[in-house]
Amino acid sequence: MNKIKALVLTGYGLNCDIETAHACTLAGAEATRVHINALIDGSVRLGDFQLMVFIGGFSWGDDHGAGVIQSVRMKTHLGDEMQRFIRAGNLVLGICNGFQVLVNLGLLPALDGDYQQRRVALIHNDCGNFRDQWVQLRINSRSPCVFTRKMTRIELPVRHGEGKFYAESEVIAGLESGHQIVMQYAGKDGKPAHGRFPDNPNGSVRDIAGICDPTGRVFGLMPHPEADNHPASHPDWSRKRASDRHPGGHYHEKAAAPDSLSGIRMFQNAVDYFN
Amino acid sequence: MAHRLEITLKETLIDAEGEGIRRKARDYFDLALDRVRVVQVVTIDADLTDTQLETIRTEVFTNPVTQVSSFSPLDIPFDGCIWVGYRPGVKDNPGDTAVEAVSDVLGIQLGTGAAIYTSRRYCLTGTGLTAADMDKIAGELLANDIIQQWRVYLPSDWSSEEGIGLILPKVRLNHRPTVNTLSVDSDDLLRKLSDERNLALNANDIPVIRAYFQNPSVRADRKAVNLADPTDIELEYISQGRSDHCNHNSFRGKFRYVDAETGVAQIEDNLFKTYIEAPTLALKKRKKWVMSVLWDNAGVGRFDDDHFYVITGETHNSPSNMEAYGGAITGIVGVYRDPLGTGKGARLIMGGYGYCVGPRDYSGPLTPRLSPRRLLDGVIEGVKDGGNKSGIPTTFGQVVFHPGYLGKCLVYVTAVGMMPATAAGTPAHEKRTSPGELVIMCGGRVGKDGIHGVTVSSESFSATTPAGHVQIGDPYTQKKMHDFLLEARDEGLIQFITDNGGGGLSSSIGESARISNGCEIDLEKVPLKYDGLDQWEIWVSESQERMTVAIRPGDLARFMELSARHAVESTVIGRYTDSGKLHIRYEGVTCAYIDMDFLESGFPQWEFDAVWRSPVHRGLTEPVLGLPGNFSTLIEDMLARPNIASREWITRQYDHEVQGTSIIKPLVGVDRDVNSDAAVIRPVLTSEKGIAFSQALLPSYSAIDAYHMTTCTIDEAVRRVLAVGGDLDHIGGVDNFCWPDIQFHPQTNPDGPFKAAQLVRSCRALKETCLAYEIPLLSGKDSMYVDGHLPGKYGETHKVSAPETMQFSAISVVPDINRCVTMDIKMPGDLVYVIGVTRNELGGSEYYAHLGYTGLNVPRVRSSEFILLYRALAAAISQDLVASVHGVYAGGLGVHLALIAMGGGLGMSVDLSRVPAGGAVRTDQVLFSESAGRFLVSIDPARRSAFEALFDGLPVAVVGQVEEKPDLLIRGMDGDPVVDIPVQRLKASWKKTFGDLI
Repeated sequence: MNKIKALVLTGYGLNCDIETAHACTLAGAEATRVHINALIDGSVRLGDFQLMVFIGGFSWGDDHGAGVIQSVRMKTHLGDEMQRFIRAGNLVLGICNGFQVLVNLGLLPALDGDYQQRRVALIHNDCGNFRDQWVQLRINSRSPCVFTRKMTRIELPVRHGEGKFYAESEVIAGLESGHQIVMQYAGKDGKPAHGRFPDNPNGSVRDIAGICDPTGRVFGLMPHPEADNHPASHPDWSRKRASDRHPGGHYHEKAAAPDSLSGIRMFQNAVDYFN
Repeated sequence: MAHRLEITLKETLIDAEGEGIRRKARDYFDLALDRVRVVQVVTIDADLTDTQLETIRTEVFTNPVTQVSSFSPLDIPFDGCIWVGYRPGVKDNPGDTAVEAVSDVLGIQLGTGAAIYTSRRYCLTGTGLTAADMDKIAGELLANDIIQQWRVYLPSDWSSEEGIGLILPKVRLNHRPTVNTLSVDSDDLLRKLSDERNLALNANDIPVIRAYFQNPSVRADRKAVNLADPTDIELEYISQGRSDHCNHNSFRGKFRYVDAETGVAQIEDNLFKTYIEAPTLALKKRKKWVMSVLWDNAGVGRFDDDHFYVITGETHNSPSNMEAYGGAITGIVGVYRDPLGTGKGARLIMGGYGYCVGPRDYSGPLTPRLSPRRLLDGVIEGVKDGGNKSGIPTTFGQVVFHPGYLGKCLVYVTAVGMMPATAAGTPAHEKRTSPGELVIMCGGRVGKDGIHGVTVSSESFSATTPAGHVQIGDPYTQKKMHDFLLEARDEGLIQFITDNGGGGLSSSIGESARISNGCEIDLEKVPLKYDGLDQWEIWVSESQERMTVAIRPGDLARFMELSARHAVESTVIGRYTDSGKLHIRYEGVTCAYIDMDFLESGFPQWEFDAVWRSPVHRGLTEPVLGLPGNFSTLIEDMLARPNIASREWITRQYDHEVQGTSIIKPLVGVDRDVNSDAAVIRPVLTSEKGIAFSQALLPSYSAIDAYHMTTCTIDEAVRRVLAVGGDLDHIGGVDNFCWPDIQFHPQTNPDGPFKAAQLVRSCRALKETCLAYEIPLLSGKDSMYVDGHLPGKYGETHKVSAPETMQFSAISVVPDINRCVTMDIKMPGDLVYVIGVTRNELGGSEYYAHLGYTGLNVPRVRSSEFILLYRALAAAISQDLVASVHGVYAGGLGVHLALIAMGGGLGMSVDLSRVPAGGAVRTDQVLFSESAGRFLVSIDPARRSAFEALFDGLPVAVVGQVEEKPDLLIRGMDGDPVVDIPVQRLKASWKKTFGDLI
């Protein structure tokens, strides 16, 4: 069987391309890093791929709202092609800046199948600053999201200054009724953060960390699954190793420690979707 | 026709930026504001139709979910309103990206002269707000008058139709570029011209310069190109090339070193050659992993068969001292060009920082240009934006507070890169320019910014320092260029690459053309930000985000194609030759014609008197202190000291995990909030090898002897990388000296000779310690004038000199990252060891500083003893025998026992009488001595015999064990309990100092 082809978008200040391509490769996909302009000038065709990943970074410096200018450029030059790509049953993943691009493009939340309208926003963190921190995440098992199938809890780093999820309450209600809220910030105990800082690191409404479209094939999240690409990526790995080998020892946080490499499982789910 | 768009968050949303300003106004000025709302102002200086304006308003500038906007002033109630915008010519990054976005969405190219400017309007509400309050908030919180302008409005001044009006900070020079010649008739005249033009020529160089331009054969050569006396561009070139910053005249100088006690005099000829170059070359012969040192923008070491790493460190002190944000972002973005300009180019993989600043809460009589709190805030933010927006993890950093840095702060920035061993089949760490190759300038455009930056940083800061050299780095433009140039490298297009930093084209072309032995440059081809720059300004401008690249003519088409793909501007501005001449033309007319080897010939060495007075000779003694009674409170207070307390707020602002390589993070432990000894990354994602990186700064020891400051700093950096699992046989070093003025002057620098002696001693220590630990110096820099003149209470000024400071960075390759260790204790029942001897060495310690003393007994590095311990520890780590390892640094065992307990969230019982001690030491001395060469290690008791076998005969002892109950229990030298504190309380003390900062 042919490998699933993943397109990792690069250029204009994006910066997680190498590790995102690596994560796709670990998951069994064939990853290509493609400059935005190579798609625009037609030297690379989106139709040749099954998974398109909008990665993290600071596109155009994030100077006019995170991901705004990238989405303007994509919409101006590639709007129709992206709509076709989604309609054809392919997958789209937006991570951090990529999530911001997807919501500015209107590819998320796509309530009622409208893939054009901006209905939600990711704005400055309530704490007023950029923040790098691992967060606990609850995954909604009723969500149609392809990327989080069979997952319930996950721990990943957030690294952003503009990650506060915001939408009007009727939009939130729409997201809830369609189970489009895929992922929420949680406490160490796995229970919802209820807005509590730093468990909810940015003040996101309803602790929302990631949402999908109604089909579950377009998914955006603020945390970085590609950062969890090695057992030693997790902040507790050295503690876990000490307790694992300790005769009769126990590990204080064992109950709370999710599977390692759970970030890569998201990419594997994407690959499995096509198999 | 210009248009002004105002954008703000919808009323119902929290304005996080405004909220931050409200908080700071309260904390800094005790001003109670009810609310601050921020309005973003985009002023578009272009002819656009109403339809076009509406398109960009909705598509680019307004988020319909969260924002409202209008081309007329937004109606937001205020008791006071402050508008802040850039001064003309200051880099406006959002303005530049707005031009890109507008062009893209409208499908047009904005005409020449069109521009977009961004600014902000702050709407403040609060009772009793006066214009003076707002001026204070504007000048001391929101804006810096060097780069920004502001206006203040009360409701009565405000016109709801006009708002702020149309403010266009456009640069208009109305100047025809002109080359002037300067007379070399006499030394005095040239010196006078040098002063007038701010050339900063060294007085001793002036006769050499005159002799060159009066030499008949030189004059004959010049006549052929219609030149006679030197032009301004030529003298600027010489000034840049001869500046201390570029040429390291101090380190290459001649020192007459006299020991004042013995009268013995020694001549130290060229500290760089003797103490840096010689040991590094000797070690390079022994260490096969050293690939390239001492010539390029950064040093190169081998990572594995297929990859080399690259490292260098810089400082950006003077600009940061004047404009903290701009200086710091320019510093970090600038140092990131060094690896990119090393060999044929390296990808950036990691950054580090070190800030030395005045006490954050300083409230004494001196008035630094920026308050220490504001300065630190700005520096932190500059490195945040510079690092995060470059997509490079900032994995390690330090902050040191000391009143000596009130005069000038230090901002150290360090960059690590990675290159393939070969680029298109040729060794990637080698490069050269050859005749016939094209000179290309890539990246940003050239403006007046940064002119005379190099010469300014070679002088002490004073009220007359020109402010024009302050810049704002643009990580976005540089990131695009970085990605482009690495692709060009991989296709074999790059023959030579170097960055445009200090000295601009003058340095980058001047230096690269020495390899081919000549160049011809057509200056009118250099893309400018605005017209009207003189030729010399184009040549020496330090406008950022530019690289100079040499390519073969046959590769030009492909190079330009890639450049366009990445939306990077690249321009052919000349070619390399072998004429032996630096030949610069402007519109076909020669404006510079100098022999390539002129800068390397015949200039006099700088000379210094260095007079050493030993600490005893200077009257330093140990304080007479009785034994404290309340050790619990003492430990808590020590933990709260600014130089020890948690700086989590800084670490979390920095993306330390981008690139997906993080293995040992800057914050570790059960709550992920205690500092690790060093950072470890896995730069090649398909490999289990890692890079360990650490830095150390111990300037307080210089108050006793800069020799021991230096040895202890290196020892600490070494212990830090060893603690996480670094390889003692592969440690590369980077030395960054920051020294006050060392040239004697009876009025302005009476203690110059002592500071010069400190420098000589520091260099001696550097060589000795690097040879002992076998650390080649992969890179290093010096910044020599860290002094400032600060106004005092009565209008008098005080010269404030920084303590003699050397930051040392250590980099090591970790063979298997799965063996790395963190500092936090892990399991109850584990044994706690102290490795190494604790002595009565509290001179310069945090403990003495806490009680108001300096002392005499500064810690000493006994490298031959320490190495035995380090080898044994490295073996224990590689055999997986340890659960935690942590070095003992500033604050001593008392502080570091607390830190490992906090890291583990567990308790410990420790008996100080079991600590290996040298000589008679009492409880406070054991707890707070800063003796070098020590570690705290915890191990599983089952591994005890294997562990101890490795340390047979060495000063190592079990001092206690890890306890389930999270209390720190310490017994003193006489066996009595002296400390019994819950670990949570220790942590609360450690966090409270900066605890309200995010």
